[in-house]
Amino acid sequence: MPGARAAGAEWSRMRERGSIWGLRVTVACYRVLGPVLSKPLVLAVVGYFFLTDRAGRAASHQYLARVSRHTEATTPRVPTFRDSWLHYREFALSISDRVALWGGRQDAFQFDFHGREHFEKLAAQGRGAVLLGAHLGSFDALRVLSHLDRVTVNVLMYTAHAPKINEIFKELSPDIDVRVIEADPSGVGTALRVRACVERGEWVAILADRVEPSDRNRTLRVDFLEGSAVLPESPFLLPVVLGCPALMIVALRAGKRRYEVFAEPILEEGAPPRGAARTTRARELASTYARKLEGYCARAPLQWFNFYDFWAASGDGE
Amino acid sequence: MPEADTPSPERIFAVVVEIMQSQFDLDESELVPGAQLVDDLDLDSIDGVDLSVKAEEELGVEIQPEDLGELQTLQDVVDLLHRLVTRAR
Repeated sequence: MPGARAAGAEWSRMRERGSIWGLRVTVACYRVLGPVLSKPLVLAVVGYFFLTDRAGRAASHQYLARVSRHTEATTPRVPTFRDSWLHYREFALSISDRVALWGGRQDAFQFDFHGREHFEKLAAQGRGAVLLGAHLGSFDALRVLSHLDRVTVNVLMYTAHAPKINEIFKELSPDIDVRVIEADPSGVGTALRVRACVERGEWVAILADRVEPSDRNRTLRVDFLEGSAVLPESPFLLPVVLGCPALMIVALRAGKRRYEVFAEPILEEGAPPRGAARTTRARELASTYARKLEGYCARAPLQWFNFYDFWAASGDGE
Repeated sequence: MPEADTPSPERIFAVVVEIMQSQFDLDESELVPGAQLVDDLDLDSIDGVDLSVKAEEELGVEIQPEDLGELQTLQDVVDLLHRLVTRAR
């Protein structure tokens, strides 16, 4: 079994290969078929993957068992085949909603914000920030935030196709200012691009739960769901080094076309610490993030969308 | 401002070497002009921020993210800083 670092990186490479093609095809299907017909199509595609992807099913089973042990310590449940299907099904529903959002159906969705005042405060003061999310629920609530608070949101991701993705996003929703910044492992400029965004008062969102090839194996270990998991170091080091605030943001599907968005500050603005102190601060931040992420996983266990052995590298894989 | 105030490329190279040694614990023998920032010196983009902050302090220039896009070697860093210093003076 490969380590979580390798598994996460491989997952990213596979996703990367299909991302642009998938984005175009998905949006085209949505436009041709509409919301009613595109949903069964997405369910059928995800159903196919559920039936054929044994490793993914095993990862789902492993995660569901852990979250059950974590939340129901006295009577943990052993997940069934059906539980894993419901897990995959939730993924299909999430994709279906995403496509509808990208297709400009934002008004058809209800977003209930918890902690929106933190964003309003930042926006009013024109302060930049790093937003740390996870592959839990939907990250697309950021598009809504960008629209509501009239702030540019940049999404830092491992992709060689940032300009193309930006072009597609702009084409789909010209009034929403969400841009993709490419995390380039072959150069030293990515963090400086983030710094420039933060200095302009923009927000930079990072999915901080998955080790990507751009992380070049710079990782840290945290306690997470009854085990030890490996996280990338840079999402936590970045706000510490830049001395900017960091907020955790998670949007969980709470019903048909309804999302609950949770935002909470996890790092205050402050002078960047020096030397070993900043690594310590980054580790503390990662631990805080992992603890809060556990809480959100407990709240919506089926909305965790990392279908690979997340705990493998630390010897906690199953 | 007189021309003499602009640090020479050699002086800038010395400043960069000093920063690299103090910030990243790199050995002077590794710090040759052709050293690749990522592959040979194992720097990443967080190191890029540190390098920029220190170089900005030492040389009074402001580095933009787009300036760093094409940087591959130590000599590229020196050339960039020399260009920025010359422009600023």
